[in-house]
Order: sequence, then structure tokens, then C-alpha cells
Amino acid sequence: MTLTTTDPNSARARHARPPLWRNTAVLKWFVQIIVLLAVLAAFWFFAAQARNNLSAKGIPVSYDWLDDPANIQLGEGIQTVDDPDGRRLTMSRALWVGMVNTLRIASIGIIAATAIGVVVGIARLSNNWLARKVSSIYVETLRNIPVLVQIILWLAILGSLGKLTVDSGPIPGWVIVSQKGISIPRVFFADGFYQFLSMLAVFAVPIWWVRRRMRRTQEEQGGTQRIGSVTFALSLVAVVIAWFANPVMAFLGPVFDGISDAWAVIPQGLMQAVLSIVAVLAAVTWIRRFLDSRRTPAGLAKLIDDDWFRMIFAGIAALLAVFVVVRGWPGLSSWIINSGSDLFGVIGDKFGDGRGSRPLDAMKPTLSEGRFVNYGPTGLTMTVFYASLFFGLVFYTSSFIAEIVRGGIQAVPAGQSEAAAALGLNRRQALRKVVLPQAFRVIMPPLGNQYLNITKNTSLGIAVGFSEIVQVGQTVYNKNSQTLAVFSIYMIFFLACSLTISFVVNTINRRLAIVER
Amino acid sequence: MSIADNALTDEMASRDDMIVCRGVKKWFGDFQALRGVDVTVKDREVMVVLGPSGSGKSTLIRCINRLEVHQEGDIIVDGVELTNDLRNIEKIRSEVGMVFQQFNLFPHLTVLDNITLAPIWVRKKPKAEAEAKAMELLERVGIPEQAAKFPGQLSGGQQQRVAIARSLAMEPRIMLFDEPTSALDPEMISEVLDVMKDLARGGMTMMVVTHEMGFAREVADRLVFMESGDVVEVGTPEHFFTNPQEERTKLFLSQIL
Repeated sequence: MTLTTTDPNSARARHARPPLWRNTAVLKWFVQIIVLLAVLAAFWFFAAQARNNLSAKGIPVSYDWLDDPANIQLGEGIQTVDDPDGRRLTMSRALWVGMVNTLRIASIGIIAATAIGVVVGIARLSNNWLARKVSSIYVETLRNIPVLVQIILWLAILGSLGKLTVDSGPIPGWVIVSQKGISIPRVFFADGFYQFLSMLAVFAVPIWWVRRRMRRTQEEQGGTQRIGSVTFALSLVAVVIAWFANPVMAFLGPVFDGISDAWAVIPQGLMQAVLSIVAVLAAVTWIRRFLDSRRTPAGLAKLIDDDWFRMIFAGIAALLAVFVVVRGWPGLSSWIINSGSDLFGVIGDKFGDGRGSRPLDAMKPTLSEGRFVNYGPTGLTMTVFYASLFFGLVFYTSSFIAEIVRGGIQAVPAGQSEAAAALGLNRRQALRKVVLPQAFRVIMPPLGNQYLNITKNTSLGIAVGFSEIVQVGQTVYNKNSQTLAVFSIYMIFFLACSLTISFVVNTINRRLAIVER
Repeated sequence: MSIADNALTDEMASRDDMIVCRGVKKWFGDFQALRGVDVTVKDREVMVVLGPSGSGKSTLIRCINRLEVHQEGDIIVDGVELTNDLRNIEKIRSEVGMVFQQFNLFPHLTVLDNITLAPIWVRKKPKAEAEAKAMELLERVGIPEQAAKFPGQLSGGQQQRVAIARSLAMEPRIMLFDEPTSALDPEMISEVLDVMKDLARGGMTMMVVTHEMGFAREVADRLVFMESGDVVEVGTPEHFFTNPQEERTKLFLSQIL
């Protein structure tokens, strides 16, 4: 029994600390810091070069032009010209309109491409010969034609439609299909919507309480309570009451206005103090959690160098944040104060004046001077430019998604469907309950890639003159030669989109991961 | 007396037929896996199917709940003929449980959810009732403490016992076992066989493809020996292990005993 010494001194003697240049924990952090500094230095170098060269040519990089009037012809979007009595269309506003157009087509495109892709992918594995063949032809045709060709083809097809009149289209007055675009009636949030929503939120509390009580009764007394049906019935009643009684909630308007006013008078110093405290608290919480994770029933585990580095970094990050808030960027605090006040003010304005008003309303397509009305209460309109980019992207991407779905389903072992069949589940139940949940694991990562692709491919809108961010940006730098500044805006925008999508996909992935051990 | 009814005691012969196979033939492309199989399994009988690999024994029991489709001959399960009629297939599948060599548990569901899935969705049982029944079955196979775990966290023997419990949750009248212990480590085989013996003593009609001769000798009412898609010999364990008639049977038994 000579090996089981518990003398701490002898243990420490055997685990003598290696010199710094051989200590892997130190080396790991050292190399990372060096690489980070090298990357920053390289970036700095190139940025400085570009700035100097451009200054020499007389076009220094700046962002001052963002507030200049745009004088740009925007095809469509949330604002295309100066509002007569409101916002001017500045350069930054024009770029923002482009971003919104990009986001609009990317988000709706992602939903549509997923829906079509899933259906086609499942159909490719169907027992039905016709469904299998049709979906195979769909996939093989669409994914083998360049997406740009498809987009331009759609523009040609849509452009060959009839002239725009109220009566063009399958249902005159309601659905318009013409060479200027497609328009259908739009359901929109009317004046009473926010009162309606807040009333529903109030009703949610008792419904939730009833549900909890019923569940408890079921657990205690056995038997089956109709929890689902009761919830549905109560919710229906709540919706009906809220639909008609929503003006009651109009008092919330002044409440939000009050919050807005109160928010506006927060002194900047207080906001700075609060933000600093939040940063420090976050670091302290992180370090405490970290220490907890190193705690074993036998007490705190011995911390290795790596652990110390992490905690030191958390501390430095907090101090850095405090410095930025207090000295580096005081504007951040006043920005939070101003935009917080604006936000509550906007919410307050959403509430009506207590007169009866519908939460939702619908509007037929309207025309003025032979064009679609771009703005305000009108139908839901897809211009030909929007439609050709949308159809091109959606059909092209859906063919890839179909293949991903098919691959994911085929990656689930045959034994799983057999086990489901042997238990008596029918094909639909087996697909929904057994095969698809497992296929999702395989499908999710490549599906995320397709979502990134569709978002980035919206920049092909430039080929058909759709006013997405790249097209608007190009118009901007053609006017003022601020290529580098515009491209930096592109990069930040697309990076933000991509990181958001990646974050969502990764979160879902983690949820779906199968517990192995 | 046909080969299908060989070696039945009078008492056994008087019971109902649970599984009847008459002249069952099955091809995979050009390869004929079953060459006219005649087998009858009586109510509460335990039938063990023996044979070298590739003899068609797995194919036969997979035909019985229509995981494979036979091309010629009749299969009648508890009086219902297996045809293309979806209603018959559903009826038979909900009455016949099956245990696979590779367990085929659903890895994304907990043990409890694996067991309650079919009762809730096929039998439309309320969740609470299905879960109570599932816990009872887990108790019976000896692993109630594993209910909240996922299949990947269990040993092979535990997984196979969960698979048996999952089949039993549908309250089947017949259980099919397709080499249930072949994928298990040696020390885990007995825990699964014990559960199966317990089932047999409880009067379950069972058809078992296995290489476990000890189990066959102890539990089987009759054995079937198959080779190349044919039934070679049917008999009691005593007959098989002391006095087999066919040369091929003798050769096979001498190789594995």
C-alpha cells in the first residue's frame, strides 16, 4: 500500500509546475493573444493604407454623407421618396430601406423555400411513382440551372403578362396578376390591435391558472381531464371578448407615454452607473458560476492555470466594459436613454383613444395612375422585381433543401421505421413521431447553410433592379465614390444576418442533440 | 399429418392455431429466400426457429407481421389472413409484438416515451394510463429506475429489455423475436433470456429465432430447423437434441452444440 499516500507535499512534488515556455496552458493563451494582435495589426495596416491612398486621390473615407439627401430612385420599400410632412429620404434612410427589403425577401424566402423543400424532399421518397418522378424532375431541373438565369427568366415570364388594370388577374378587383406585379388583399393590424393584444395578455393569466389546476387534479385523482379542449374553449372566448371589448385597454396609451417621459429624464450619469454595475455583476456571476462548476462534493477542485486565465479575462472584460461606458463612449448611455424613451413613446402611440376599433382589417389592392400604390393601406403587392427575385431564389434553394431533407430521412436507420411499423404506427405517424425528429438532427446544419445562402443570394436583386441593400449601396457609391464605406456597411449588415441565423440554427441543434451517455 | 403439425401433443393439437404459414414463398430479386414454408404455431406455444445464417428464418418471421411481403402462399395470424388489405395488416401488427436483434429503440425519446408512444398514438390511451402501464412493464423487466433515461445511456441488455417492454405495452397476443440476444455481450444475454422465459411461462405465444440452445431446450415447445428457405425438420426439444432424423439437422447441431 505504498502508492496511496495522501501527503499533499509529496503530491505537489511530483506535479511540479513546468517552466512557462513548456506550460501548455500558458502557451495556449499566449499563442491566441499573439494571433489576435497580429490580425488586428494587419487589419489596421490595410485600413490605414486604404485611407491614405484614397485621401491622396481626394476621396477620404468618411461617413458624413449618411445624413445627405439621397436623391435616389428607389423602386420599392418602406419609404421611396421624401415624405411631404415627415422624414426626408437621406442616404442612411435609403440604405435602411434596402436592408429592410433584403430582410423581407430573405425571411419570407427562407420560410417558403423550407416549406416547398420539405414537401418535395418527402415526395422523393414516396411510394407513389408519380410523386417520386415529378419531385425528382423538379430537383434535378432547378438545382442545375444557375440561380441568376432563373431570376432573369422569371422577370421575362412575369414581364410578358398583361397590362396592369384593376381587372387583370384571376379574381377581378381582388387578385391582380400583371406585368407590373402581383397583388392580393392584405390583412393588417388596425388601430385596435395593441389594445386587443394587451387584453389577451390579461386573459392569459386566469387561463394559465385553470390549466395548472386541472393538471394538478389529474395528477392527484387520475382519470383524464380535457385540458386541451378546455384551454381551447377558454382561449376562443378570450379572443371574442378582446375583439369587441379592446377599447377598454386604451388607458395603456398614457401609461406608456408616462414611462417614456420618465425614461427621458434619467440622468446620463445614472445610466452609466447602471450599465457599469451590470457589467461588473455579469463578470462576478460568471466567475461564481465557473467556480461552482469546479466544485466537487469533496470541495473546490484544484484550479489549473487555464481556469485562472479565464477568470482573469472575465475580470478584464468587465473593467473594459466599464471604461467604455464611462469614458470611451458616453454616447452609448444617452443613446439608450433616447431610444428607450422613443420606444415607449412609439408603443404609447399604438394605443387608440378608447373608441371602438377593429384589431385586424383587410384591404383590397389599389391602383393610382396605372401603378400599384407603394405605401399605406393597400393590398399585399409583389412587384415583378420582387417576384422574380423571390421565385428564383425560393425555387432554386428549395431544390437543395429537398435533397437535404431526403438525405436526412434516409440517414435514419431502416430499423427505426420497421420498429414503428411493428408497433402498429401507420406511415404518417411513423414519419412524424419517429423518423422526422431524428432526421432533423442531420438536416439542421446543412439547412442553416441554405438559409445563409438565400440571405446572401438576395444580392442578385441587383440584376433585376430590386432595391435590396447591394443595389441601393451601389447607387450610393456611384454617386459619392464612398465605395469602402458602403462596403463596410454591406459587410456589417450581412455578417449580422449570418451570425443571427447561425446562432438560431446552433441553438436548435443543441436542443435536438441525442443524449448518448 | 403434414410436416407443419409434426410432434404436437394431443393437448397442444386441440388448441387454436395462432400462426399458420402454408407454402410461403419469397424472392429477393432472383434469390429465393423462402421455398414454400409450412409452419403452424398453436396458442400459447413457444416455437424456436433454428438454422444457419441465410436459411430464411429471419425472413419468415418478418413476413408474419408484414415487414417483408411474401409473394406466394398464405399467412394467417389469429384467424386474419395477411393480404394487401391495410385493415388486416394494421390488425395483425397491433396484435403481434416484435423484438429485433438491434433493439431499434427510438434514440430521441426517453425509455418511458419509447414505451408509451404506440399505446398513446395507436391505442389512443390517455397519457397517464399509458405511463402507469409502462412503469408496470419496466418493473416486470427489472429496470424501473431507468425510465427517465435515453436509450443511448443504457447497456445492450437493458436496451433489449426496454424493447421487450415496448412491445408488451401494446398487449400483443403473439411475440416475435428476431435473434434478440445476438448483439449482446455474453454477460447480458441471461438477463434478456430470463425475461423471455418469464413471458413464456405466462402463456405468451412466441416465435423465436435464436442460437441459444439452452433457451431452446428449456423453454421451447417445438423447434423448427430451416435451411436454404426450406423447413427441414420440426420436433420437440427432446427429439432434436437426442434423436434428430435428418442428416442436415444432425450436421447443424453438431456444429453449434
